Amino acid sequence: MSQLIDKLGGLEAFGIFSLCLFAAVFTASMILAFCLKKPFLKNMGALPLEDEPAKAESKNSPPL
Amino acid sequence: MMNAEATRQEPPPPPDRAAAVETFRYDNRIVRAFAIATVVWGVIGMTAGLTLALQLFFPAANLDWPMVTFGRLRPVHTNAMVFAFVGNGMFMGIYYSLQRLCKARMFSDKLSWFHFWGWNAIIVAAAITLPLGFTTSKEYAELEWPVKIAIGVVWLAFTANLLGTIVQRREKHLYVSIWFYIATALTVAILHIVNGLEVPAGLWKGYSIYAGVQDALVQWWYGHNAVAFFLTTPYLGLMYYFLPKAANRPVFSYRLSIIHFWALIFIYIWAGPHHLLYTALPDWAQSLGMVFSIMLVAPSWGGMLNGLLTLRGAWDKVQQDPVLKFMVGAVTAYGMATLEGPALAVKTVNSLSHYTDWTIAHVHTAALGWNGLLTFSVLYWLFPRLYRVKLWSVKLANIHFWIALLAMAFYVVPMYIAGITEGKMWSKFTADGFLQYPNFLQIVQQVIPFYQLRAVGGSLYILGVWLMAYNLWRTARAGQFAPEEEVQAASFRAQPAARLEPAFSHRWLESKPMLLTGLALIAVLIGGMIEIIPMIVIKENVPTISSVQPYTALELLGRDIYIREGCMGCHSQMIRPFRHETERYGEYSKAGEFVYDHPFLWGSKRIGPDLQRIGGKYPDAWHYNHLDDPRSTSPGSIMPRFPWLGAQPLDTAPLPARIGALRRVGVPYPPGYESKAPAELNQQAAKIAANLAAGSVKAQPDREIIAVIAYLQRLGTDIKSAPAPAAGAGN
Repeated sequence: MSQLIDKLGGLEAFGIFSLCLFAAVFTASMILAFCLKKPFLKNMGALPLEDEPAKAESKNSPPL
Repeated sequence: MMNAEATRQEPPPPPDRAAAVETFRYDNRIVRAFAIATVVWGVIGMTAGLTLALQLFFPAANLDWPMVTFGRLRPVHTNAMVFAFVGNGMFMGIYYSLQRLCKARMFSDKLSWFHFWGWNAIIVAAAITLPLGFTTSKEYAELEWPVKIAIGVVWLAFTANLLGTIVQRREKHLYVSIWFYIATALTVAILHIVNGLEVPAGLWKGYSIYAGVQDALVQWWYGHNAVAFFLTTPYLGLMYYFLPKAANRPVFSYRLSIIHFWALIFIYIWAGPHHLLYTALPDWAQSLGMVFSIMLVAPSWGGMLNGLLTLRGAWDKVQQDPVLKFMVGAVTAYGMATLEGPALAVKTVNSLSHYTDWTIAHVHTAALGWNGLLTFSVLYWLFPRLYRVKLWSVKLANIHFWIALLAMAFYVVPMYIAGITEGKMWSKFTADGFLQYPNFLQIVQQVIPFYQLRAVGGSLYILGVWLMAYNLWRTARAGQFAPEEEVQAASFRAQPAARLEPAFSHRWLESKPMLLTGLALIAVLIGGMIEIIPMIVIKENVPTISSVQPYTALELLGRDIYIREGCMGCHSQMIRPFRHETERYGEYSKAGEFVYDHPFLWGSKRIGPDLQRIGGKYPDAWHYNHLDDPRSTSPGSIMPRFPWLGAQPLDTAPLPARIGALRRVGVPYPPGYESKAPAELNQQAAKIAANLAAGSVKAQPDREIIAVIAYLQRLGTDIKSAPAPAAGAGN
């Protein structure tokens, strides 16, 4: 194995291989993102807005 | 205190809700601790930066005190800003947002406080060891091996606390911020371990296991991704949490955030070699770095647009609210920096910008803009909530914002002009084909006014931070700190079973933290492995040169002093294959010349000229006088004086350990060389002392300056001669 790696040639192909790899990752993430349903996206997008405890808001709104 | 303990202390909920709702408390104490540390270290780190800025046009500002000379203080500034200011700021935001996004207290209070005190103790250790000259020389990884081990342990505690909190969460799906936090925790650990591998040669000295080209690739794979995964991904996580909260709007596109995350973490890791364009790094690695750097624009701008578009319908608030102002400024600076970064990675642009102040301008657009402004916005947002009171002065916060913007303009614009001036003047030829500015100092003198303007910018920025510190202090005094925040949420198990989610959908993935962690790990490992493993195992990447030999004992100690004084902060040792560089410095650098350089010392900035071929260029006496007082040989030089090198005796006691350590990393010192090295060292030192005497310089041969001269005179000379006798040859 070490001999095989040591004599590995065609380093130029690394660039093409790397770009193909990225294309695969990018395509997969696009497919995964666009398969999500709108209600889930809406809920998740608003998640940071859910965690303000009511107690804090009443005493501290608006903070600025 | 564990979450379960917090729950036990609470009164039991009504019977009808007992099965579904749990009462628990968020820990605000740890958030406040990190927030205070952020402000304190910010002031210290920026003050160190301002001191450096002053020294660049007024070298005597160091008072000839070794601990505050430019070379030793520079890593104090960079480490303080990256790991102390941004690090504490990052943890402040993560500890606040993670608890709320997971609807759970941190997994372990003990781990939280171990993390806080451990991290800040490491920063104190850095602030002590770096001015003392204990440094590896590798940028952003300067801390020596005992501190590096401590960093690993503390980071492990943080990661365990992060993952433990995620595991015990009450919110089924992980919000995008948490993905970025996970990627940060994993990748920083990998980068730190791989780049930090060294063989100890004493308590405060170690040698990188990599040499020359390989060391350079590993270092800039680390260095670039320290920017990516320490300064960018955690702050993107903070942006995705705090920007919607401040604007009271949901994130613009959750879909876009998914693509942003995966594309960003996959691409970023490949881009490191753009720091080594036109160096002795093999072309294939340079090309990979350049191509992936250009591709990086897409996910970076996806994230920036997602942030700015979150403010749709809320732009009227930006006018009034300093928090939003700072956030808009930060995200815009992120966009500017991430457009400029890929541009600088294009070889043509890089040939002009590299080693110049353009890089400094680029770095500070991101650091002052993206990291600085976002940190300030989170602090202004958090303090009123932690202390349950309104911000003491909104007006003062607004003033801080405009001062910060003005400061950035005063900082980066002069640096851009200085950078382009340097690049153009270095490469300018006369009509007759000679260098237009053969004296490097001619060019230094041209940029000094811009260094002065930069110091004005830095001063303004620090003034803004002081105003913020005062505002936050007054806010804290006016309010009452809420150490814990009691909340209720449905327990994870009691939540109604979600309808069957299709396996391998992103929704499903967001409910599987360990799988998501594993996939993120694979995404970041691929790039590093494809670049680094071939570089290390394929011999054709580093053609050997038979005349290149290990350093002699005296040169080795001289090199270690060169590292101790931080000379590589201002002088590169890498001549690029351009005519103007070969005319100015000599033959371009070759990969095979650095095979015994543990660590590599190629540098990244030329405040002074390149030193790769300095060996033999000047007599020993010139070097002595130049090190003692640079302006005596080079009028107008901004190099600090090093009078202590001529006074301090050379410590040869560590020599055997250092030779042994270098032998273990592959430098072919012959067996038993340790015992013969002192005699060889004395012989070479006596020769240099005799040369100095011939040049009317009286110097004792056992002083540190003799070793530094020996090292400088060796630089770049190996390829000029026939195969030279190796260190210890004749044995």
